[in-house]
Amino acid sequence: MTAIANLLYVTLKSALRDRILHAMFGVSLVLLLLVPSLSVFSMRQVQELSITLSLSAVSVALLLLATLLGASSIWRDVERRYTSSILGLPISRGTYVLGKYAGIASVLVASAFLLGVASTLVIALSAGAHPSDMPVRWPNVWTAVVFDTLKYLLLAALAMLFSSLSTSFFLPFFGTISIYLAGSASQDVYEYITGPYGKTLSPVFRWLAHVVYYIIPNFSAFNLKVLAVYGLLLPWNGLLYTFCYFLVYTALVLVICVWIFSRRELP
Amino acid sequence: MNALDIQNLSRVYKGKKGREVQALSGLNLTIGQGEVFGFLGPNGAGKSTTIKTVTGQIRPTEGMAYVFGTPVAEASGRMRIGYLPENPSFYDFMTAREYLLLVGRTFRMPEDRIAAETVRVLNLLELEEAADRPMRGYSKGMVQRLGLAQALLHDPDLYILDEPMSGLDPLGRALVKRVIKELKEKGKTVFFSTHIINDVEVICDRLGVINKGRLLAVDSVANVLERGAEGYLIQISHHGTTTEEVFIPKDRLKAFMAEMVASDASIERIEPMRKDLEEFFLGLVRGGDDAARQ
Repeated sequence: MTAIANLLYVTLKSALRDRILHAMFGVSLVLLLLVPSLSVFSMRQVQELSITLSLSAVSVALLLLATLLGASSIWRDVERRYTSSILGLPISRGTYVLGKYAGIASVLVASAFLLGVASTLVIALSAGAHPSDMPVRWPNVWTAVVFDTLKYLLLAALAMLFSSLSTSFFLPFFGTISIYLAGSASQDVYEYITGPYGKTLSPVFRWLAHVVYYIIPNFSAFNLKVLAVYGLLLPWNGLLYTFCYFLVYTALVLVICVWIFSRRELP
Repeated sequence: MNALDIQNLSRVYKGKKGREVQALSGLNLTIGQGEVFGFLGPNGAGKSTTIKTVTGQIRPTEGMAYVFGTPVAEASGRMRIGYLPENPSFYDFMTAREYLLLVGRTFRMPEDRIAAETVRVLNLLELEEAADRPMRGYSKGMVQRLGLAQALLHDPDLYILDEPMSGLDPLGRALVKRVIKELKEKGKTVFFSTHIINDVEVICDRLGVINKGRLLAVDSVANVLERGAEGYLIQISHHGTTTEEVFIPKDRLKAFMAEMVASDASIERIEPMRKDLEEFFLGLVRGGDDAARQ
């Protein structure tokens, strides 16, 4: 645990001193500050639009952070030969991977917390200036931010997986983006082909679509924006199921990541 | 118990088109406690592969290495090692002091001891002025000295140093040699690789020569130097006016000295003539000195 905590500290420090991440975080905050002004353009749905825009700004910021931090994690340390120094210490490769992930996860959680606080302030400001018939359901907004964070924690693990077998930025970065796009659309595609249209497709194609649907992560399960915007009742059973899905999927990805990195030849 | 015990260590790399490259072949080597051992070999001989294997960074194809009886494959086996990688590279966004804190915590040193040892090693390696600057601004020599500092921090019993003099100017090299000599005086074990033969002659108790993944020889430095003695170059003066230099083979020295005592000539200077380590090394690597093999 000490070694994991040490690597968490290093990763956290690296992120705190990274100017690109500073800039990204700054842009996200600026976007959030623009939310009250932009929401006014919706005429009668100022509060609803402010929630949508705030949650989207948080989501974009976390997407960029998870992709950049996860994709540049392991291969960059290997390329810059930091691993030959750090793995010469009494640190196993498994501990190294888990420590790195813990660091990235901490940055994501801390960022989500700060952006969540900022979102709360701007939504309260917009809703106060242009009250809606329906009051803001704050637990829904915060739960949406929490589940968005879980989604990007899972994406960061996938980015690390690509990073553990890559020797450059391209596979981790574009692989992560591709998985994100596919995972965000998989539920819609699945429903489409299992509906009436699916009957016109060949059985092999449908079988393949099912396999892909179950292999790639289902990111739409983490999307609670509609529930937050319209204050709908939260489906706690479904959320618990999604949380378990997150835990199992992330654990599996990290186990594969450790397995790959433990077998990798280092320079 | 030996500080380092390498048993039948082999490592095969898979090259292009499935071709296999034998980087290490059946290496057996034992380093006793308190020894300073120099590991000599040309570039690509297998020195770094050996070191990476004994520090647990490379998995051997065959064989095992033990540090004070603990297999190095376990991370805990490295608790008693201070390791300096070849051309070290450290997280460059950190300062030297922060990195040493990380190293100390990894070795589970108490915080007050980390602080005290950090000051000690930074002073020893003449890095105190740069200690609070990010490492991205360090010269190659400074990074190399920091590498040695982080290996020294937890006062381990075994030091494994991969090319410790690499990238250092003459002052830095003298400093590192002094540090290794001080470690020897403290009874620490040092195993270091180099291709600078003079370093081995000055610092080491024993040396090993490796080439193409095979250990060609292991011997004490004193033995090698003694075995290489060929004779003596003696300067003689006659009546304090004329001088001459004569070469006397090793086995003729006693008789020659007796002749000198009987004559009116006086001896001004005696200089031993011997093959140096470089010739020993080159002879082994070129396969020309079979007698030195073990």
